[in-house]
Amino acid sequence: MSTLVVIDSAPYGDWTGREALDMAFSLAAFDQPVTLLFLGAGVNWLRKGQAPEGISQKSVEKNLSAAPIFGVEGLLADGRDCEAYGLAEADLIAGVTRVDVGSDLLHQYTHTVFAG
Amino acid sequence: MTMQHSEPFSFTIVITGAPYSSQAPQTAIGFARAALASGHRIDRIFLYGDGVHLASALSSPPSDEPHWPREWSQLLEAHDIPGIACIASALRRGLVDEAEKKRYELSAHNVRAPFVIAGLGEWVEAGLRSSRVIYFHGGSGA
Repeated sequence: MSTLVVIDSAPYGDWTGREALDMAFSLAAFDQPVTLLFLGAGVNWLRKGQAPEGISQKSVEKNLSAAPIFGVEGLLADGRDCEAYGLAEADLIAGVTRVDVGSDLLHQYTHTVFAG
Repeated sequence: MTMQHSEPFSFTIVITGAPYSSQAPQTAIGFARAALASGHRIDRIFLYGDGVHLASALSSPPSDEPHWPREWSQLLEAHDIPGIACIASALRRGLVDEAEKKRYELSAHNVRAPFVIAGLGEWVEAGLRSSRVIYFHGGSGA
């Protein structure tokens, strides 16, 4: 079983992305192959230099940087959405692969999951 | 109309939308009833995110509205289906069983039987064991 966990909403506005991240870490903790894909406004999760302390939230940047350590196999971002949000390679946290999202990509996984 | 399959499916149903703010719990119960009526098995229900509110023993909708937590509890009991609310989602949202009430020294517990609270490991196992995992979302995401 391999799972693609998709995050398609921006960080800090709702809780679904954090809960999707918990799902990914949980799969990794049980040694199940898992990859995270960021789509649409979700690509903003991958932006360097996030500072959400002013709105009493913890930065998701740290969680994501730790993802490979916890066994998450990949951090993927939709290349076109990165462009739409002005995210060049240098603006992204380390370890992100920009991809073309289509059926070729989705067919590589047995499960595709959204948290909400 | 009845679906014809050579072999019945085993389903895990994941509900992430709350009752009374999303359609997810009632769409899911319609699916569950249809699946059972067609001879399929439901391995478990997993409540995640806002979906954990379905396990509240304190929901008290007006008497002329469907009582979704009760409807779901009755379905689970009638078919002996485990209902699990994710512990991390539940505790954040004030859904607490007796053990967690004691652990956090809270004034009450409010998980409706037969729902129990447990970790995401239950969901991971669902992906490995069930032939299909079906998600019912609230659709409130940005």
